[in-house]
Amino acid sequence: MNSESGKHRVRAKLETRAQELTERLELQSVRSCYICRTCTSSCPVTFIDPRFNPLAILRMVLYGKIEEVLNSDFLWLCTSCYSCQERCPQEIPIADIMTKLKNKAFKLGNAPVGVRAQMDIIKKAGRTYPLDDFDNKKRAKAGLPELPTSCDVVKTLFESETESLK
Amino acid sequence: MPEKKDEELRIGVFICHCGSNIAGYLDMEALEEFTKALPHVVFVQRNLYTCSEGGINEIKKGIVEQNLNRVVVASCTPRTHEPLFRNSCAEVGLNPYLFEMVNIRDQCSWVHMQEKEDATEKAKDLIRMGVAKAALLQPQEPIMSEVTTRALVLGGGIAGMTAALALADRGYEVVIVEKQDRLGGMMNNINKLGPSMINADELVSQKIKAIDEHPKITVFTNSELAAVKGFIGKYKVDVKTGTGTKNIDIGVILVATGASVFTPKGLYGYDGKHVITQLELEEMMKKGLDPSIKNVVMIQCVGSRNEDRPYCSRICCQVAVKNAILIRDQNPEARVSILYRDMQMYGVENEEMLRTSKARGVRYINYSPENPPKVEEEKVQVYHPLLGEELELPADLVVLATPLVAREDTHDLSQLLRVSIDENGFYLEAHVKLRPLDFATDGIFLCGSARYPANVREVVAQALGAASRASIPLSKGSVVVEPIISVLANEDACRGCGLCAALCPYGALEIRETEKGRKVHVIDVACKGCGVCAATCYQHALTINSYTDDQVTAQIEAFLGG
Repeated sequence: MNSESGKHRVRAKLETRAQELTERLELQSVRSCYICRTCTSSCPVTFIDPRFNPLAILRMVLYGKIEEVLNSDFLWLCTSCYSCQERCPQEIPIADIMTKLKNKAFKLGNAPVGVRAQMDIIKKAGRTYPLDDFDNKKRAKAGLPELPTSCDVVKTLFESETESLK
Repeated sequence: MPEKKDEELRIGVFICHCGSNIAGYLDMEALEEFTKALPHVVFVQRNLYTCSEGGINEIKKGIVEQNLNRVVVASCTPRTHEPLFRNSCAEVGLNPYLFEMVNIRDQCSWVHMQEKEDATEKAKDLIRMGVAKAALLQPQEPIMSEVTTRALVLGGGIAGMTAALALADRGYEVVIVEKQDRLGGMMNNINKLGPSMINADELVSQKIKAIDEHPKITVFTNSELAAVKGFIGKYKVDVKTGTGTKNIDIGVILVATGASVFTPKGLYGYDGKHVITQLELEEMMKKGLDPSIKNVVMIQCVGSRNEDRPYCSRICCQVAVKNAILIRDQNPEARVSILYRDMQMYGVENEEMLRTSKARGVRYINYSPENPPKVEEEKVQVYHPLLGEELELPADLVVLATPLVAREDTHDLSQLLRVSIDENGFYLEAHVKLRPLDFATDGIFLCGSARYPANVREVVAQALGAASRASIPLSKGSVVVEPIISVLANEDACRGCGLCAALCPYGALEIRETEKGRKVHVIDVACKGCGVCAATCYQHALTINSYTDDQVTAQIEAFLGG
């Protein structure tokens, strides 16, 4: 019995932590959700991979399961198309919330390998698809101007941004 | 104007086209020719719309110029137009009960649109029957009865108090009978009223003060209704008080007895301490909630919307949302979760209250009745269909929203008053939409949760409405009743068996000892003319005015003789 009630104290503490986290990330707007399911119906990702379900993610945040979301891989399936956010009748900024959650997950070191690799490419090349001399030769043949193969400005911007994320 | 018995019968028949509603489907000329040949018919006229000003004037003109002493209108339904045509007869001095209506629209042209010939034949039958009955109609005089200008209000809760004050302020004497030792009813146990969040105590003490100071209101507490005799305007009631029985003359009765809260014995581990009802929470909140309570879980629809009680109690969702907000007010650290099936938050302000509660961090979790929450030591487990998993909620306090149920004495009281109750044990109004505050029995009115669970705002509105309805006979000082009622046509035939009195749904018959023995007596003001008694009487002693055996037989013979 005692260990039982001890477990509940742990659970209550976890709840409090989840609540604090929700407030720190300013996600209180999820409270006004009335489960109309417009977000899920609009989501092109849910259509292909039902593991990503915006409504379920909002509910998990509301029910104190935010850490489960932050540890998940499905969070990263969001394409930030903003369909859910545009259509939400309660004006919950769902896509923005996903971004906030991804940022927090990144800070916790939960970003998947692919996302981190992508980040490294952008850091190096200033874009997700790195250009090299071969590309510029092809461009010259097609009469197109040459493009820089690296972008220091983006790199600088990126570094200061990741700094703030840490 | 009394008719002479041997006066020659002069029947006028007005056949209505009802635009094309009738004329479009029947052969009107054939009908007119046919009607002219019927016995005692001296005048036949067709009108485009008999109910129009022109049509009405034609009836009046016919009565005066043709010296008609019976009028038949073959047209639509008596439900809507009989009073109009009767009045038209009365306006030119013909007794309105010498009027007969034949329905050749709803019961003929509308239902036989494809069969013109047969429909015309049917219309002929109907008119022939109407004329045969009209020949035997007798004049009747409306029945008047005085009304005692004193109202009895059963129940001293918010409904009864509001109705009593409304009536007393109009100058009528009011007697309130309250079972408990003080006025206020369930409101005495309530903390604050949503969505305005005013103190229930304030409202109650305000009303009690007004009642105490009102010279027209008498209050009997610790009392109950023991007996009721009589009918609208002339009730004699016995009120059993702590000191004895009082016999009071009453004109109208208002039933405002309220409801009680269902006790969830054996449900969700209800113990009255850690697992309580919303009403118990109200009392707890009144004293101030224990600050150590950090996690509250509310469960909706406990004991309602199931097989035993299939109805929705309507107010529990509002109560839960209100209390959730108040808990957050008293104890901002407390987490409140509401486990619901559907949220019943009708009305703009209630909806707003729901939104406010969400913004204030009250969590709503849907559950399905197939998979109800499980209350365990200091926690509640609930299956969440959307997430597809069990959620575990810490709970220092579990609050169960139980429905309002009909009071235990509802059945006995309904027998005493001879009024109906519904399948859930609540009192049944005369008509859910058209007469929501009346009983089918004249002179008895209804308001508040005795009828159906209602919040305080609705109760007050209903109480004012019921008081307004009850004021009609009180202000008129008398009631006028249709004379189409039961009469003891053959006193010698009556054996005083009492079968009719037992079956009368309106309490309009009683058996009296007379010089000739036990005989039935018709309380004409209470009688509705339904005919149950006349149909029941083995001796054919009772009959219904304007539906006498002779008249009905004449109609049947006219039909068969066609």
